[in-house]
Amino acid sequence: MQDKPLVEVKKLQKNYGDTEVLKEIDGTVMPGQVICVIGPSGSGKSTFLRCLNMLETPTAGQVLFEGKDTQKFSEEELTTLRERMGMVFQSFNLFPNLTVLDNLKLAPIRVKKMSDKDAEEKAMGLLKRVGLEEKANVYPNSLSGGQAQRVAIARALAMDPEMLLFDEPTSALDPEMVGEVLAVMKELAEDGMTMVVVTHEMGFAREVANEVWFMADGYILEKNKPNEMFEHPQNPRTKDFISKIINS
Amino acid sequence: MKVKGRNVLLTIMTLCLSLLFLFTVQPAHHTAYAADDSLQKIKDRGSIIMATSPDYPPYEFQVSKNGKSQVVGMDVDIMRQVAKDLGVKLVIKSMSYDSVLVAVETGKADVAMSGINPTAKRRQSVDFSKIYYNGGQSFLINKTDVGKYKDKAALAHKKIGAQTGTLQYNLAKTKIPGATVKGMDKNTDLVLALKTHKIDALGIETPSAEAYVKNDHDLAMIKSGYKLNKNETGSAMAFKKGSGTLAAAVNKSIDKIKAKHLTTQYLASAGKYMKVNTNNTSMVHYWTYFAKGIEYTLLISAISVIFGVLLGTILALMRFSKSKVLKAISVAYVEFVRGTPLMVQVMFVYFGVGIIVNLPALLSGIIAVSLNSGAYVEEIIRGGINSVDKGQTEASASLGLAKGDTMRFIILPQALKNIWPALGNEFVSLVKESSIVSIIGVTDLIYQLNIVRADTYRGVMPVFVAMCIYFVMTFILTRILNYFEGRMKHAR
Repeated sequence: MQDKPLVEVKKLQKNYGDTEVLKEIDGTVMPGQVICVIGPSGSGKSTFLRCLNMLETPTAGQVLFEGKDTQKFSEEELTTLRERMGMVFQSFNLFPNLTVLDNLKLAPIRVKKMSDKDAEEKAMGLLKRVGLEEKANVYPNSLSGGQAQRVAIARALAMDPEMLLFDEPTSALDPEMVGEVLAVMKELAEDGMTMVVVTHEMGFAREVANEVWFMADGYILEKNKPNEMFEHPQNPRTKDFISKIINS
Repeated sequence: MKVKGRNVLLTIMTLCLSLLFLFTVQPAHHTAYAADDSLQKIKDRGSIIMATSPDYPPYEFQVSKNGKSQVVGMDVDIMRQVAKDLGVKLVIKSMSYDSVLVAVETGKADVAMSGINPTAKRRQSVDFSKIYYNGGQSFLINKTDVGKYKDKAALAHKKIGAQTGTLQYNLAKTKIPGATVKGMDKNTDLVLALKTHKIDALGIETPSAEAYVKNDHDLAMIKSGYKLNKNETGSAMAFKKGSGTLAAAVNKSIDKIKAKHLTTQYLASAGKYMKVNTNNTSMVHYWTYFAKGIEYTLLISAISVIFGVLLGTILALMRFSKSKVLKAISVAYVEFVRGTPLMVQVMFVYFGVGIIVNLPALLSGIIAVSLNSGAYVEEIIRGGINSVDKGQTEASASLGLAKGDTMRFIILPQALKNIWPALGNEFVSLVKESSIVSIIGVTDLIYQLNIVRADTYRGVMPVFVAMCIYFVMTFILTRILNYFEGRMKHAR
């Protein structure tokens, strides 16, 4: 990989009260890299992801974005961080009081001060890209899960981020809708988007990721190329997890 | 955590108490250093303000003259003469009987005149003029009971009604052996109680008793036969303590009026009004009264809803702010306002705040109701904001949207939809509860209703009409609210 790292995580720790969710996490994300984070539920994957864009404040350790400590960011710098690092949630979190089009337009207009016309053009372009331009004027509650998640991805893309975080984007979907969302994500990866994806979709991880991180009990126990990870897992916990996934 | 909670509690208590302190200390200074400029003040202003409760014919009551409602009666004619002698204009302020003495004490009016008996207790808080009229005491009874109750002695161990806080009330209590005395605020209600046999007799001043007997053929009257000290049983005008110069000037006018026997003339003309007035006691005839009541009730409710929602939103946002001071102010405000009755708040704004800034009754009413509603709306909005999924805030933050934008475009619109039924409830109860402003003389529906009752000598019908009007108003409001609720549902 080229360049400097986009994100560096150093000895990251996160507690909720007395519960240690993240014990010690280290990792580096290079520009253009696709990293899939896998692991049993309750291992702290989502918490780790949410520490990257400061939805959660770390208890200890550092998250550096382009070499700068995110915990020392001013309000303004934090806004810039979130502009550049979009996020897609498991439960979509579309704004139900706004139409699909307005869901996409709101942030560009309010944060980037884009004109209404430009924002609309951009939004329609993105909806076309995820194949939902005919849904522009409906409200989110009339969308299927797969459509809602594609809109959510388009909404994140409307801010022109350099990096996207995916928090189990397909876990809340009916099985027949998983494919359409993964297809969009695959396309993004092919276009060179930097992505950190928390997922249970091993096929996707294998096919698209540059690196797979296995998390358990608040640690990253193993980092490897996908083929290595799935064919020859090193850590006994990884072995156990992967054998269970493949045999299920 | 425990210590933190106690700190917040302490802050709230301190805030409430300092507020209380501020208002209780202020008036003491006022009276202590005020010189007697009572007469000069009126002459400088060019008008004398009279507080009265116009539901007591023939002393004072409301009639419609050339389509305009107007307070008339013996008291008004006397006061007009007094004003003429002083060389100033007469301004009449109508309010409930409970409020007229408070009005002079707090400087809302220069003189209270409402058939008031200058009892020893009242003399402790206000100054009185000479007695201007001594009507004597009587009892109203049902005509069917004429044979049964021939005199006071026959009323022993019976149920006697009287206006609360009046001489009649005390007399019935002390001078009729074994009587159960039932007190109510208004003579109109007492007459109704009498006619429905909830009480056996009603202690009332002779001129009022005569007016009722003349206008209601089911009623009869008997003389009270009380032996009384003239200085306590007549009617006098009340002034704020320390109004010696004003009282002296007024007493001169009263002497003149008495010497010329003008009161007989005034009573006669009051009687004429009453005859004109009771020709037609159908409710349709009084539609202008009700219309005015509706107008004011709607005006107060509409303005109070707007300011209540604005204030409630601000308080709710303060509650969610990072600043501990703002949070504490919001909590203290809501707790304090919810913990005190609206009636007390209305009186506090009108009379209490009135010591510092002289607010008209309507404005005071609107302010009090708005301030009250704000506290309840805050609680509703706070609940609404909490009801919006946390994921919405996170999604918004992940897009870089500022907290203010998140509130405005995402949280509040969704909260509004969730709380709409509760908010609608608050609006409906506001329409009904705004009726409390009638105690400070705002001519809302309840106030007008009491005028009509006093005017027509009909106890129930006006109440029924007002009930129907309230229902129609709230029913229409509910339909409108449902319409918007439906539209919001559609948007989801």
